[in-house]
Amino acid sequence: MTHPPATISNPPSALRAGLDAVYIASAVAGAVCVALICALMVFQSLGREFGLNTGATNDIVSWLCAAAAFLTMAHAFKHGDFVRVTLVLEKVSPKVRRVLELVSLFIALVAVAYLAWWACRFTYQSYEFNELAQGLLPLPIWIPQLSFAFGAVLLLVAVLDEFVIVARGGVPTFVRLTAERHAKGDFSSDI
Amino acid sequence: MDILTIGGILLILMMVLLSGGVWIAMTLAICGWVGQAFFTSTQPGLNLFSAFWESNASWELAALPLFIWMGEILFRTKLSEEMFTGLAPWLNRVPGRLFHTTILGCGIFGSVSGSSAATCATIAKVSLPELKKRGYDEKIALGSLATAGTLGILIPPSITMVVYAVAADASIIRIFLAGFLPGLLLMGLFSGYIAWWSIRNKDKMPPPEPETSFIEKLRLSKNLIPCALLIVFICWSLIAGWATATECAAYGVVGSLALAAWSRSLTWTNFNDALMGATRTSCMIMFILAGAAFLTKTMAFTGVPRELAEWVNSMNLSPYALIACLVVVYLVLGTALDGISMIVLTAAVVMPMVQKAGFDLIWFGIFVILLVEIAEVTPPVGFNLFVLQNMTGKDSNTIAVAAIPFFFCLVVCIVLVTIFPQIVTILPDLVMGVSK
Repeated sequence: MTHPPATISNPPSALRAGLDAVYIASAVAGAVCVALICALMVFQSLGREFGLNTGATNDIVSWLCAAAAFLTMAHAFKHGDFVRVTLVLEKVSPKVRRVLELVSLFIALVAVAYLAWWACRFTYQSYEFNELAQGLLPLPIWIPQLSFAFGAVLLLVAVLDEFVIVARGGVPTFVRLTAERHAKGDFSSDI
Repeated sequence: MDILTIGGILLILMMVLLSGGVWIAMTLAICGWVGQAFFTSTQPGLNLFSAFWESNASWELAALPLFIWMGEILFRTKLSEEMFTGLAPWLNRVPGRLFHTTILGCGIFGSVSGSSAATCATIAKVSLPELKKRGYDEKIALGSLATAGTLGILIPPSITMVVYAVAADASIIRIFLAGFLPGLLLMGLFSGYIAWWSIRNKDKMPPPEPETSFIEKLRLSKNLIPCALLIVFICWSLIAGWATATECAAYGVVGSLALAAWSRSLTWTNFNDALMGATRTSCMIMFILAGAAFLTKTMAFTGVPRELAEWVNSMNLSPYALIACLVVVYLVLGTALDGISMIVLTAAVVMPMVQKAGFDLIWFGIFVILLVEIAEVTPPVGFNLFVLQNMTGKDSNTIAVAAIPFFFCLVVCIVLVTIFPQIVTILPDLVMGVSK
């Protein structure tokens, strides 16, 4: 290994532990959304059989679906689930690879910052104009949109976090975790 | 500026970003932004927000995490171990004998799991050591595992199909139904090759297992019955129009949880791992879909796909020539990209072209999925090769060579599906009526 192990350049600190806890907590909230989607869909199809009115279920399910994705983004990014082309990265020397990782992370940083800015801005606008959801459940739309704003900001934090790790000479967490999984023969995260 | 030049600039930008290692979803969104900011007068920020929000806040897309979850739960049960013991006694008299456990195992597991890598890894973990112990030819076993693992994405319910349906704005149930017959055809081709090989190479085949009585056979495969019932139930509710795709997925999750509980593999760790894994994977896919939705908006504003479709149309290619060109494009893309990214990335541009040429989008979906299956087993980034390489320690090129005959089965399947598109369309047309 040409890189120093990540643990040396990044001693476990309160900040490290705190950030990781926030990523996980947010992803757990996303997982709860997935479980709720399942429960609601079963409820809806049973409700239809018994003549219950389950009209607004579809709206709630679609918001849960969005929240499940947005809240998990930071954790999935750190965990190495986000796909990228590694064909070139794996061919070049470790030195070049480090530069490419830094450039990629920098581009990601700018792009995600832009995304987070607009996510927050429009969610705030929905709040300011008190915009209601179109559909059977006239909830203020900023409430479900909050998952987008929060998820995007957290993803920005995660990208910045990785950028700092690599800039300090560490191995990116997403590379390390993927390699560890594959070494154990675990391919459940790969489609 | 010429519209096709804009398309060219965006394409080059995309290739540079992708090969540099920028995440696929972000690359799509960045290209979308560049297209809108420099070549249109719209407000990219607003479009970015609505593309991300609308594509993810979708009731139809909610089927995606549920189907992934179902596969993740079953992946963590003892199903894969039972697959071999349950299937083996029935195959003793068939030419090729226990080799067929790989094909049937992948077919059955592929229908409950939507992932090609997971299917390949799960079945290989159990079948390879058992086949080796009995003296079966390793090359055939490796080749059939690498290729049959890709049945996971062809046999419904499949995650890749949900993604295609969302990207092409097609009906999820329709494309699921379309996948059944090609899936069976492909399994038949694989098994046919194995039978033919074993008849020709009698000397390389180990002796058959001792005969077992019918009751004994049933006893050995009794553990597979609940899983079979679950598959039949899901397929039946799809065909009977009993439930929407999302409801079907929810029942699939409930059923597989029950199955896991029954086989005593439903521990808290397993439940937790399955749910978190499913959430992460669906997040990854939905992030790509959101990035692609933004790029699609850009494409609609600039008019690149329409222009491209007209341009292709003006060349008066025969439909088969167009399909041949697309095969080359997808095979080239497949050397660098995974299946889902490939489908999402090309959806905005290729689908108008294909539709204009008079092809059915459902048929094209199955066709693309077959091409993705090819990409999974061809170097340099065929993921199934990588999976088997990791599991067996064999060089991925050795595995690729072993997969060549099965690779040709895939090619035969693609040719058959192209010449007789009815193989794909007959079932959905029969069940849901002929589409528009």
